[in-house]
Amino acid sequence: MAQLVDAPDRSSAAGRSKGPGRRREPRLDRVPRGRQVGRVRWYTYAVLTLAVLACLFPLYWMFVVASAGTEAAAEMPPRVVPGGRLLVVTQLVFDTIPFLRSLFNSLVVAGLIAVGQAFLCALAGFAFAKLAFKGRDALFLLLVLTMTVPASLSVIPQYMIIAQLGWVDSLQALVVPGLVSAFGIFWMRQHISATIDDQLLQAARVDGASSWQIFSKIAFPIVRPAAFVLGLLGFVNAWNDFLWPFIVLKSPEVYTAQIAIKALQSNLTVDLGLAMAGSFLVTVPLLVLFAFFGRQMVSGIMDGAFKG
Amino acid sequence: MSATLTPQAGRATRGTTATKPVESRWERLAPYGYVAPFYLLFAVFGLFPLVFTFVVALFDWNPIGDRTFVGLDNFVRLGEDPRFWNALRNTFSIWILSTVPQLVIALVLAQVLNKARLRFASFWRMSMLVPYITSVAATTIVFAQLFDRDYGLLNFFIGLLGFEHVDFKNTVLGSHVLIAVMVTWRWFGYTTLLYLASLQAVPRDLYEAASVDGAGEVKQFFNITLPSLRPVIIFTVITSTIGGLQIFTEPLLLQPTSGTTCGAERQCQTLSLFQFEQGFGVFNFGYGSAIGVALFAIIVVVALINYLLSSRVGRRA
Amino acid sequence: MRTTAPPLAHSPGRRAPSRRQVLSYALAGLGAAAATSACSPSAPTGPRDFTFWSFTGIGQKADVERYMSANPGVTIKLTEVGSSQETAQALTTAIAGGKVPDLALVQAADLPKFALSPDNFVDYRRLGGDDVGAPYLDWVIAQATTRGGQVIGIPTDVGGLAVAYRKDLFAAAGLPTDRDEVSALWPDWPSFIETGRRYTEATGNAFVDNAATSVFYQALGQVSEQFYDADGGYAYTNPQVRQAFDWSLDALAAGISARVDSFGSAWNAGIGRGAFAVTCSPSWMLGTIKSQAPDLEGQWDLATIPNGIGNWGGSYLAIPAAAERKEAAWEYVRSVQSPASQLQHFVDAGSLPTTPENYSEPELADFTDPYFSNAPTGAIFTKAVLDITPFPVGRYTAEIGTELQNAIKAVELSAADPAQAWAKGVRNVEIVVGDL
Repeated sequence: MAQLVDAPDRSSAAGRSKGPGRRREPRLDRVPRGRQVGRVRWYTYAVLTLAVLACLFPLYWMFVVASAGTEAAAEMPPRVVPGGRLLVVTQLVFDTIPFLRSLFNSLVVAGLIAVGQAFLCALAGFAFAKLAFKGRDALFLLLVLTMTVPASLSVIPQYMIIAQLGWVDSLQALVVPGLVSAFGIFWMRQHISATIDDQLLQAARVDGASSWQIFSKIAFPIVRPAAFVLGLLGFVNAWNDFLWPFIVLKSPEVYTAQIAIKALQSNLTVDLGLAMAGSFLVTVPLLVLFAFFGRQMVSGIMDGAFKG
Repeated sequence: MSATLTPQAGRATRGTTATKPVESRWERLAPYGYVAPFYLLFAVFGLFPLVFTFVVALFDWNPIGDRTFVGLDNFVRLGEDPRFWNALRNTFSIWILSTVPQLVIALVLAQVLNKARLRFASFWRMSMLVPYITSVAATTIVFAQLFDRDYGLLNFFIGLLGFEHVDFKNTVLGSHVLIAVMVTWRWFGYTTLLYLASLQAVPRDLYEAASVDGAGEVKQFFNITLPSLRPVIIFTVITSTIGGLQIFTEPLLLQPTSGTTCGAERQCQTLSLFQFEQGFGVFNFGYGSAIGVALFAIIVVVALINYLLSSRVGRRA
Repeated sequence: MRTTAPPLAHSPGRRAPSRRQVLSYALAGLGAAAATSACSPSAPTGPRDFTFWSFTGIGQKADVERYMSANPGVTIKLTEVGSSQETAQALTTAIAGGKVPDLALVQAADLPKFALSPDNFVDYRRLGGDDVGAPYLDWVIAQATTRGGQVIGIPTDVGGLAVAYRKDLFAAAGLPTDRDEVSALWPDWPSFIETGRRYTEATGNAFVDNAATSVFYQALGQVSEQFYDADGGYAYTNPQVRQAFDWSLDALAAGISARVDSFGSAWNAGIGRGAFAVTCSPSWMLGTIKSQAPDLEGQWDLATIPNGIGNWGGSYLAIPAAAERKEAAWEYVRSVQSPASQLQHFVDAGSLPTTPENYSEPELADFTDPYFSNAPTGAIFTKAVLDITPFPVGRYTAEIGTELQNAIKAVELSAADPAQAWAKGVRNVEIVVGDL
């Protein structure tokens, strides 16, 4: 299999700015190349335990307050064990806003974006990696440049466009702009370059296969795991997105789950138990997803499949 | 095998491709079709809005009322608006408070996770990614409660130690620290994984040789680890800058009683939130867009500084 | 009760989280209507069906339910969510985006901005005739009337002022507990602050929830001239506003404030935990107190507000000009905002009617609330709004109020220098007024 695509090149600023995106191909856990040898001391585990506690405690706390109700949020000394009211408080959340529908909306939006990104980024990445066409390099450079422009600086015209399209207050306003990402294409291109042998494609070409057939029959099956990870990360990002849905969604029946928990918070009362329960409920689906695919996400991120 | 497939952008790389010289018209056009979705969507939802931001910024533009061309008035007013400078200061303060600790923590943890004989390696890595999959909205609600002046867990302990409760939300430094803690919490594990990936690319014999030479762990860290991580550190600084300029949800949700100002003194109103306040709070699209243009200018400046710094560092190295 | 104090005025209203109300209202009668209104994705189909956007806490759901059961076959798609400010923002974006509800609830403070572009709304005179505003309090309907005479809002309620106090905590501090005696403790704001000082000295605890809302905002609702003069010019530095501002600083200097921001989580928790003994409560706030501290029934009571009268808040129903079902929406407004219906709404939900002919009806005048120690809430709130003489409002009334209030909050919550507060508030008002 291919070695690293390029050796670390410290003199080139361009190479560097891609940073970890460079280190593409090999499954990182496999090779202990850069691992430090030697004994692992107790304080190593102490540091790690501390870090993991810091990561998990806020979620545990969310569960404690959610399960104990609003009273628990204002208890002094604070409560540290979960209560038995999770179902009651959950019911309250579902009664206050159409939360189940919000979860469903989030699932639809994040699911479509995940599928769109996995497929469209792989397709475009394939074209950039393996097909020749006029203007390819210029287009690719443009693509890389777009990654540095944060979307939030032009939300006002973006909103105007959505309004012109008649998409205000509808889920397609979230899905369509998110179907494909520059970063995803960039990553899939690097990945395809590194993992797919030119000779394989050449052979298919000689047999008369079209570029579409080559992609769908040969290339995509090979990179499917990477596309899956990309989709997974797209799903997480879309599920957690706040600013854009907050701007374009106005009616509770189209709320995504993140907007719904904001709606829980903005009554004349800020009911913390309710807000915590809402937060807990929007986090649980991702925790479940993470339990199944966390390992892939970790290796995907270490492979450079992240989004800034 | 031949893995010379990474065409550098800007260089003709026709020879490395798998295409045949003779192909149908359809086949010639197909690649454009494959990449078209991105450019189409980017044109509509990215490029056009970006350009149009500059246009809208020249108007006094009320979405349900009039629009009047005002030239550069919005920019003049922006320069004189203490709220803008306040938001700028807040944004950078929160960015520094969240980036620096995050990178330091990630460096240490990556170093620790890079031990070859570490047990439960997968468990540690996965746990550290849990904050990343937690939404900003949920994170903010939880941390706002943990840091509450009257009923927060943290202040309970501060009280136990005999100190006065700290009002994180309502002081400038306190609110910045609180938001920085949220940002750091969400991202440090993620950054750790990036650093770890980079560390694993460092040849092991470097460390071995250092060990043989009697260099301790600290010395190895400064002599080997840090230099080899420089590219990825620069990368994470860039991404955290782009992310930091867009901090929005944390200050919006931190103080549900103060709408879009993040407190009575706008003590934690970021540029992104100020833009939202002007655009969608008081519906001054023109002024809001002027803030967007300012954001753009800041990004260009930051990118330039970064480019200059990294090329100088590169030359020195 | 009324002192020589200034002739009172109409509805200022906070901008930010005002009028969000009781969860219990939002939750009340979840049953069928909640399911229909919240979950039904389908647009109304029948000729009398329509969509309706409201913020929470005003109990619009109860009205909608009653209307639907009185008119079988009519489906109202009610969206009841968030704060008044958010509803106003959503309405603005909806008008800009071209996809509007058929009816929307707008809080008084947000109305002047909509009144600037009256073409975006239906003129009720066209639907209900020129005297469509006749049943309502003059100063309330005046606020929904544009310079051109168009009536763009029908008022649903007003927020008469009162002081809610804890009898048990007063007793423990050696203060009287009878509501008439308590009212007599504070004919004006200085005596209110003095009472607070006595309370805090006796108990060591905070007296009032905060000064920014419970003192400044209430006193601001009692002036004869607020932020605008009769000609539409700015008057926000006038002595009455300054006086209200200084009273709140006096309250802070006296150390009687619990320094918790109204409507925040610590405030909600504080209601039940005795973090403060009094909070100034307009009629629409009673439900919040009940829902946050159900165990304290019979411990809270209501006294008159210092200076006797005043109003905070109030809402209007408006029909966007681009609405598809204007007639259906109008039919609803006419029915639900009739004096008889408003009276019923008061009994159900506690909001004070805008129709003065109700004020002497026994259902209102003799109404007592067991939670508040059987206080005659109807009589107390009515007295607070009857003698009000309006002050002019303008486009930035809400924003000016918020900025001045923020200057007090800065002292109260963020330890800013009180000596600088007024100057800072005025400077911030100048900035805001300059840019909108």
